Amino acid sequence: MSSLSARLLVSVSVLLLFFFGVTIVVLDTAFRKAGEQAREDILDGHLMQLLAAAEPDTDGVLSLPPDLPEARFGNIGSGLYAELRDADSDVVWRSRSALGLDIPLVATPEPGNRLFLEESLEDNTPLLTLSMAVQWEIADNELKPYVFKVAESLDSFNAQVAGFRRQLFSWFAAVALIMLLSISILLRRLLRPLRQIESEIGDIEDGRRASLSEAFPTELAGVARNMNLLIDSERARSDRYRHTLDNLAHSLKTPLAALRALLSEIIAQKDIAGRFDEQIDRMDEIVRYQLRKPAASGASKLGLTPVSVAKEVDRLVDGLNKVYRDKQPAIEVDVADPIRFRGDSGDFLELAGNLLDNACKWCEQRVRIRIVPAIIAGESAGGIEIVVSDDGPGIPGEAADALLQRGTRLDESTPGHGIGLAIVKDIARSYGGDLTIQVSDLGGAEIKVTIPPAPGS
Amino acid sequence: MRLLVIEDDATLRESLVLEFGEAGFGVEQAADGREGLYFALEYPIDLAVIDLGLPEISGLEIIRELREKGKTYPILILTARDRWQDKVDGLSAGADDYVVKPFHFEEVSARVNALLRRSGGWASPILNAGPVTLDMTRQDVTVDDKAIELTSFEYKIIEYLMVRAGQVISKTELTERLYDQDFERDSNVIEVFIGRLRKKLDPESTINPIETLRGRGYRFALERSQSD
Repeated sequence: MSSLSARLLVSVSVLLLFFFGVTIVVLDTAFRKAGEQAREDILDGHLMQLLAAAEPDTDGVLSLPPDLPEARFGNIGSGLYAELRDADSDVVWRSRSALGLDIPLVATPEPGNRLFLEESLEDNTPLLTLSMAVQWEIADNELKPYVFKVAESLDSFNAQVAGFRRQLFSWFAAVALIMLLSISILLRRLLRPLRQIESEIGDIEDGRRASLSEAFPTELAGVARNMNLLIDSERARSDRYRHTLDNLAHSLKTPLAALRALLSEIIAQKDIAGRFDEQIDRMDEIVRYQLRKPAASGASKLGLTPVSVAKEVDRLVDGLNKVYRDKQPAIEVDVADPIRFRGDSGDFLELAGNLLDNACKWCEQRVRIRIVPAIIAGESAGGIEIVVSDDGPGIPGEAADALLQRGTRLDESTPGHGIGLAIVKDIARSYGGDLTIQVSDLGGAEIKVTIPPAPGS
Repeated sequence: MRLLVIEDDATLRESLVLEFGEAGFGVEQAADGREGLYFALEYPIDLAVIDLGLPEISGLEIIRELREKGKTYPILILTARDRWQDKVDGLSAGADDYVVKPFHFEEVSARVNALLRRSGGWASPILNAGPVTLDMTRQDVTVDDKAIELTSFEYKIIEYLMVRAGQVISKTELTERLYDQDFERDSNVIEVFIGRLRKKLDPESTINPIETLRGRGYRFALERSQSD
């Protein structure tokens, strides 16, 4: 059993069953015992009445008056019966209520003793009987043995017991149901923080949030805090790594620039300067390529903050409007907000920046960027699609292949051309996506980059 | 035009200063962020070229500070970091354009000229006002399609005035922007040059391209034919 709440519910149910079972048995037994005792006392009382009412008649035979104080002896089928038997067990007297009934004779007590028995009539009506054997002094010194017997039907008593049991069961069942219900509601509330942690970690993986929230109960706050520390340290580690690499490579660039500046002063030897320059370009391109490699490649996606795509695109477009102020391309932005890029924000800017920069460079007047949720197999599952089009000359097939090849075969490539598309392709690939080049409805190139959802989301 | 170059690498900075000087600019230079920010705030300059990776105060902070303090002149970023992240950060901090290291000087100079022109409200490097045309790339001036022979200092004055066509430019501003620091500042010299320019551009005194506003300065008075 893997669910905590299922485990708890089953354990509680078993405990409840056991506890209520024992309680029911104890209560039932006590109720029955008390009832039986009361019955016996009542029977005893009736017997005493009979003894008191019995008189020997003129024949020296013990008999009872027709009107007994207890009316039930006089009503046929009242459930309370009495009889008197002599020494031969022959019935001497029988109450009117027992008319037509045959009260069985099972055992006779020793003279002077009482005997309680549970017997039954022919129609299986259960009876509680009390017999008492007496030596009755009819005349002087003449003792005759008699057996007095009173019997009461247990039907009503049994019905009472059954009613009591029914009530007992239904009350306990109701209580058990209420208890189980409230426990499961309680559990749901108790376990909610756990479910919240789970969904927040999912959000972090999908890039919808940066860290776990702080509002957890004391028992979980520690776990959440440690999770956040782990995420932070992971993030810091990948940042540090990136920075080290960045600084290393960037520190090369200023000397390169200085070298080039110096070269421009060697006017006399233009030829050599040109060859130096070529080498500088090559070194520069290698450094640039290494620097622009996707930041998130191989890194855990846990360490990344989600990127608000619309905001970043706005910043890019603002920047490009400055850079291309002379050309003033009309940049049309169509971003399905609130769309999120789950990855490194630098990577996203690099993707969109290179695509937009190329489009602005080549367009006549119009550039369009469209970012929508990627539809994969008929549904959107968190991936995004970036489509940048322009109304420029477009990219013919072979040229497109060559452009995309550049990144992978850098050492063979001619320096001095843009490496933007190759970088975009590399970044897209590092996220499991791809890049395609088509003809735009604006007339120029249309570059489409598809980034699939994170695995496991 | 007076430029400020803030760059910590000495070789690169000196080379830039030299080249800008040869291209006809007055140049201030600073080697770290603190000095650079001070110069940028206190000196009369038309454009700042700022390296992003500076000691003491970073280039980004300088740019933010300048924009916050209301300085509106164009800023060109020199950066070793050419990820879009860095470019966008610089541009949204208030820079107007960027050049990625290692660069060719021609590229920097082209960007600087474009920024200066744009800051004067001109969309193209060929400034056109009535019969007067000034080509910033070729650094020549024509009136009614006739080329005018100008000395480099005369050209600098007419360029400065024409880029800011319609604005009143004081004599002090002209001297500050056009002379290098070690030149003797004498406003009479400016008057002499303006006089010569008028004669060369408008020998018949028919178009009056340069107005004198007594006690305030000069203004290029012809209507612009193209602008953005």
